[in-house]
Parts: sequence; C-alpha cells; structure tokens
Amino acid sequence: MPLATSNFLVPNGTFIVVLIAFIIVLYVITKYVLPPLNAALSERQEQIRGELEAADKAKADAEEADVERRAVLEQARTHAREIISQAQTTADQIVTSATAEGQAVHDRIVTAADAEVVVARQAAVEEVTARVGEIVLAAAERVIGREIQTSDHQDLIDEAIAAVRAETSGAAAGAGGAR
Amino acid sequence: MGSNLLTPLAGIVITPGLHLQRKLGPLTINVDIVWATLIAGAVVITLGLILRSKATSGVPGKFQLAWEMAVGAVQTQVDDSIGPRGAAVVPLALTLFVFIFTCNLFEALGIGSPIDFLPAPTSDINLPLAMALYVIVMVHRAAIKNRGVKGYFAHYFAQPFPKKLFFVNAFMNGIEELVKPVTLTLRLFGNLFAGGLMLALLAALVDWKFGSYGVIGGVLSSVFTVVWKLFDMAIGAIQAFIFALLTILYFDSAMAPDQPH
Repeated sequence: MPLATSNFLVPNGTFIVVLIAFIIVLYVITKYVLPPLNAALSERQEQIRGELEAADKAKADAEEADVERRAVLEQARTHAREIISQAQTTADQIVTSATAEGQAVHDRIVTAADAEVVVARQAAVEEVTARVGEIVLAAAERVIGREIQTSDHQDLIDEAIAAVRAETSGAAAGAGGAR
Repeated sequence: MGSNLLTPLAGIVITPGLHLQRKLGPLTINVDIVWATLIAGAVVITLGLILRSKATSGVPGKFQLAWEMAVGAVQTQVDDSIGPRGAAVVPLALTLFVFIFTCNLFEALGIGSPIDFLPAPTSDINLPLAMALYVIVMVHRAAIKNRGVKGYFAHYFAQPFPKKLFFVNAFMNGIEELVKPVTLTLRLFGNLFAGGLMLALLAALVDWKFGSYGVIGGVLSSVFTVVWKLFDMAIGAIQAFIFALLTILYFDSAMAPDQPH
C-alpha cells in the first residue's frame, strides 16, 4: 500500500466512505439505540410521577386522619368534661340533700330529747315535792329527838316546800335556758 | 551540538497529510482514516447496542447513566433553543457528539509518527467535511420544509435589512450560508489536526541533545506528551460539544417561524 502525501486541506475519495460510515452510525443510533433509551427514560419519569402522586395522596390521607383524630379527641375531651361536671353536680346534690336530711333528723332528735328532759324534770320535781315534806319531818325528828305534829308546823312545812319548788323550778329554767 | 541546543527542532521533518492511500477507480482513499472511522463507528454502535440490551426504567447503572446524561444534555439544548418541533434533531446531535468525541479520543493513542496506526479520523478533512455537509444539507431541507420553497428563498432577501436592500440581504445571507459548512468543518478538523502536529513536534523533541546528556529531550518529550494528551482529550470533548451545539443552533434558525423584520 503506497504512502502518499497530499494537500491535507483537499478532500478526496475518503469523503464518500466516511460519509457512508457516519450515516450508518447515525441510522443505528436513531433506530436502535435512542428509542429504547427514551422509552426507559419516559417510563421512569412515569413511575416517578406515579410514586410522587401516591406519596401526595398518602400525605393527604395522613393529614385527613390526623384532623379526624384531633376531632375525635376533642369530642372525647368535651364528653369527659361533661361527665365530670355532671358527676360533680350529682355529688353536690347528694351532699346537700344528705346534709339537709341529717340536719332534720338531728333537729328532730334534739327536740324530742328536750321534751323528754323537760317531762323527766317535771316528774322528778313532782316526786321530790311530794316527798320532801316527809323527809324534812323525818330529818327534823331525828334532830330534835321527838315526834313533831304535822299540823302544828304545817305552815312552816308549806313555806319550805314553796322555797324548794321555787329553787328547783328556777334551776330547771336555768338549765333549759342554757340548752 | 550547540546549534542543536538552541534550535531543538532544526532539521526535523514533519509530514502532515501523509496517509496510507489506495486508488479505487478515480477515487483516492486514505485507508488509515477509513479504518479508524470504521473502528470509531463500531465502538459507538457497540456501546449503543450494549445500552439497548441493558436499558432499564429502573435504577440505571453508570453506563446507562452516562448515555442518559448525554441524551438529556442534547434534549435540553434542543428544547431550549428550538422547542418541541426540534425533536428530530436530537438523534443527529447526539450521534454527532458521541461519534466525534469517540473519534477525537483516538488522538490519545497516537505517538506522533508520520503514520499512526489509529489516527483520529477527525484529524483528516474528509470526515469533518462529510459530517458538516450532511448537517448543512439537513438544515436546508428543514428550512424548506418550514418555509416552503418560495418562503425559503424569500427569507434570504427579506432580512436582516428592509426589503429595499434585498440585494445586500441576499449577499450577506449567501456568504453566511456558504461559510457555515466551511467553519463547521475547519473548526473540528483544525483542532484535531493541530493536536496531531503537536504530538509530532513533541516526539521530535526526543532528538534534542544537551552535550552528552542525551536524555533531556526524551524526558521533556514524555512529560509534555502526557500533559498535552490530557489537554487534547479536553479539546476533543469541547469540539464534539461545539459541533453538536452548532448543529442544533443551525436547525434552530432554519426552523424558527419567519417573522417580518
């Protein structure tokens, strides 16, 4: 094969051969290489878009669920507050009515007791009053050593009884006033 | 020796445009350029077919990702300048970028000998010219499709100046359209051709002797060659990008709606 120098700025027959070679390369790239690559690229874009949309949807769902959760929680809190306040009211009512009832019972008992006390005192006073004359006379007989005629000293006895009565009733009135 | 030290490249013969050639009827074929082109094409097609067999819509591997980046970059550029109408330009611009980039990388294999086993096909005028003419023909075809035959010619008379100056318009537009394929060709060819020349010069530096210390030229040559090849690969990528970008821009001006100026 001859070595030859030609003007390097002048094209020769090589032009046609390399032009054909270039067109073949262009054809193969255009027909066989780019379409599958572009298909893969657009398919991937599609996938990514789908995934992004799914992510958006999941996010929206999560937000919705969150809002719902908050609403339910708030509702539950309100409900709980209502229950507590109702319970409080009921408890107050129970306490109030129990107090009132207790007071009534107490008052009744006290009133009854007071009445009983007054009756008992009266009875005691009557009994004492009835027997005081005898006791005084017996005591006096022992003191002077002889029998004393009741009739002789009836006035004196009556006076003593009246004094005792006045004293006891005064004491009973003082006790009743202190109650 | 002194004169050799001061003029390290004196007496060195570099023979640009030297090729293995064969006559095919009336045509002269640069055989080394042809096989380098075929190998570059085979590399691109093989990478493309590997991608085709592996392409997945799932998590892409590094290989697929590299392709996707290239396609994405071209697609973005086309969308930004031409819009949806430019979809047909994407395969051409992508092929140009990948193919030219692959061809340019061949320069990293060269050692600066007069005939490299695998020269960068783009360092020969034929391949850049072939691609540039293909692009320009397609651009004009797109312009005719866009504006109709009448509109296509009228376009050159109607702008940039008012219609009264149609002669000036036609002259300027004519020059521009003629220059487009020439600059597109020579920009790519010139960069890669110069890269090859640079390698030849650096290789010739081995001959530089400093007294009896004969190695100095060889050491410099080795270091500079490595640095230059790294730089040259960047140039190769940039030139591939520029070729593809200009293709898109030419299509853009051809497919743009015809506005009154």
